[in-house]
Amino acid sequence: MASAVAISEGPLILGNKTPGIVTTDICSSLERTPAPSWWIAIAFSGSMLLLGLVAVAYQIATGIGTWGLNNTVGWAFDITNFVFWVGIGHAGTLISAVLFLFRQKWRTSVNRAAEAMTIFAVICAGLFPLIHMGRPWLAHWMAPYPNTRGSLWINFRSPLVWDFFAISTYFTISFVFWYVGLIPDMATLRDRLKAGWRKRVAGFFSLGWNGSFRTWLHYETVYLLLAGLATPLVLSVHTIVSWDFATSVIPGWHTTILPPYFVAGAIFSGMSMVLSLMLIARKTMRLEDYITTRHVGAMCKILIATGGMVAIAYLTEFVTALYSNNQYEQFAFMNRAMGPLCWSYWIMVGCNVLSPQLLWFKAVRSNMAVVFVVTIFINIGMWFERFVIIVTSLHRDYLPSNWTGYAPTWIEIATLVGSFGLFLTLFLLFCRFVPVIAMAEVKGVLSHGKKPH
Amino acid sequence: MIREYEELRLSERTHAIFKWLAILGAATFVVGLMVAPQRAWSSFLMVTIGLLGMGLGAALFIAFQYVCGAHWAVALRRVPEAMCGILPWASLGVLIALLVGRSIYPWTDTHLEGMKGVLLSYSFVVGRAVIFVTLWLLFVGAIIKRSRRQDKTADTGLSMSNKRLSAGFLVVFGLTFWMASFDWVMSLEPEWYSTMYGVYHFAGLFLGALAAMTILAIWLQHAGPLRNVLTHEHLHDLGKMIFGFSTFWMYIWFSEYMLIWYADFPEETGHFIRRQTGGWGPLFVANMCLTWLIPFFILLPKPVKRSPGMLVKVCCMILIGRWLDLYLLIYPSAVGHESVTFGIWELGMALGAPGLFMLVFVRNFRLAAPVPVADPQLQASLAHHQ
Repeated sequence: MASAVAISEGPLILGNKTPGIVTTDICSSLERTPAPSWWIAIAFSGSMLLLGLVAVAYQIATGIGTWGLNNTVGWAFDITNFVFWVGIGHAGTLISAVLFLFRQKWRTSVNRAAEAMTIFAVICAGLFPLIHMGRPWLAHWMAPYPNTRGSLWINFRSPLVWDFFAISTYFTISFVFWYVGLIPDMATLRDRLKAGWRKRVAGFFSLGWNGSFRTWLHYETVYLLLAGLATPLVLSVHTIVSWDFATSVIPGWHTTILPPYFVAGAIFSGMSMVLSLMLIARKTMRLEDYITTRHVGAMCKILIATGGMVAIAYLTEFVTALYSNNQYEQFAFMNRAMGPLCWSYWIMVGCNVLSPQLLWFKAVRSNMAVVFVVTIFINIGMWFERFVIIVTSLHRDYLPSNWTGYAPTWIEIATLVGSFGLFLTLFLLFCRFVPVIAMAEVKGVLSHGKKPH
Repeated sequence: MIREYEELRLSERTHAIFKWLAILGAATFVVGLMVAPQRAWSSFLMVTIGLLGMGLGAALFIAFQYVCGAHWAVALRRVPEAMCGILPWASLGVLIALLVGRSIYPWTDTHLEGMKGVLLSYSFVVGRAVIFVTLWLLFVGAIIKRSRRQDKTADTGLSMSNKRLSAGFLVVFGLTFWMASFDWVMSLEPEWYSTMYGVYHFAGLFLGALAAMTILAIWLQHAGPLRNVLTHEHLHDLGKMIFGFSTFWMYIWFSEYMLIWYADFPEETGHFIRRQTGGWGPLFVANMCLTWLIPFFILLPKPVKRSPGMLVKVCCMILIGRWLDLYLLIYPSAVGHESVTFGIWELGMALGAPGLFMLVFVRNFRLAAPVPVADPQLQASLAHHQ
């Protein structure tokens, strides 16, 4: 079939690699001492984390009055960061679960790292509500269990409680999914390493994996079931996050399109973060044969699709607000675009709607530097999207006497920097101690030994 | 490998059934216009939106396949292509409803204030409608023309150009369809609005088109053209898509309902109150059961998704659910919510719609080979396995 070759996209993994070469390529970076660039990177991210820790310690000791909130804007930086980080996690679940069910073989090169990012992002997200409690040592009050606190029982009608359950379920499933996928690779590490503590650790976590037919059969069954369980989570988690806002009666928050719009936005932001980090990892860890322009191109196309959905949601919201003839709705949206915080709105539109349009061009998709810049823009834009939704809807109250502004204090900024520090530190440690690419899965999509047809 | 594909041959009797159903529908409409014009036009709008959904849903399916580079459904592509044949008729129906049947839209006679008045000014709505349907017809027509031309030229470049056209169609659809659903259905209750409305219509139309496509593909397998083409593997994938989009529909339904119920704004809740009282309540629940609850549990096991007999039954149930959904969207606003209105005018046109659809489908299916014989991905699709 000469014609079939003409439109096929070539091998997924370049360099005609054998399974043995894959193992060597991926494991060797874990076995040698880290490069100076890794030490520099972890020193940098560690400092960010330290700054964050200092800020968190200070605000817990002093109280959340150290934030820039006021009576009108009672929710701002913390919840923006929370929603931002939860969103980042979504691409991992999309790649690992949804694309698995859709038989997208290219996912094998990026799923391990993307799932790791999901877990780290959810950890970062969880910090913010925890800090916002003011007394985080009472966080267990969120859990419904028989207690002696009298009427202090959980309000099950509050979306914030649903959120607690959604996020903790999400974390659990994502972690189990990630770990199950890791087991065969842990066994590979165990078999390669010389006797020592690392071999013992890898041996413990590989759960006695012996590579037999039965073991693989069980593994694949579990993997498929977990993918099926994780797929609804891609939708449910950010749906419930959107309900934190949409169940309210605040113009700009209460709008029915919010659930699918938040889900699309979450995948959009998460995919751009995955792409940003994978482009760096590809370069520094010399993974060009594994993460090829084809993988980057596929992720860029997901960015175009989800970015398009987000853009249509912006448009729908705006036009519907005008259509509603409800002056508060109309004002909320006009105020976003033309009010005192309009700069944040236009950053959002520029980064989320305009910049991804570059990715329509194949020349752009295959230029890694440009793709990297676009993904950074999207990361910024998606942070601002949450800021726009949350702060601009609040800072203009029904009563003009309540109108106010909002500016974050350095404590809040340091906490955000600290969450990035935590995320990057965890990611760098992950790159050092865990195979960044799912070796067992990549071996299944090699072109070596397959005749071209 | 050259294979012979059977032409679609219809028995006289089958053709007569389709023809008489269509005639019955048309006759009901004409008589209804004289006896009960409001109900005839409302029913006409229902049929139009339903058929439009079939055409657009099929076009979306084709576009998704091209854009994703998916091969599994290539062998079945002539089914959605022929379903798109209804689009010109449905587009005409939309324009007729807006131009001739305008009495069902309350905003055509009264002057609305503010921005609503601007957005729902009559000429603006009609102008938009013309632009929307023209764009859809141009894109879908171009895609189908290239797919059919490939049968003769075997030019792989046509697959590439269809990929680009499909991406263009998806963008155009995304930008226009939500507004179209606002204009043509939501505006029956001009005071009510919900940003989810367009997404809800999309979820329903795609699910309905998938169900119809599955029934038609299984029918064509029995009738000859898709014999030895349609396998259990294709059915399994179609079954999974139906399962997925049925659940997606319910997700969108629930998200819209829950948020309106929770916030409890009087201007928003009216829409659902009108659909739960006055005898509409049982239908309101039946819609969810037929479109999601029952199909969800039936389609869970793998063997069901691979069984043509079971799939046809589930798809029929979903299509009845789709009819009910459109009935609930249109009738309480256009005809009246005080009591359930159902009779000869609704029944006649509900039977006429599938008749008309099948006549157009069969004619369009015969215009090209039963499978896209020169598509570079056809062999992969025929040999498709999990």
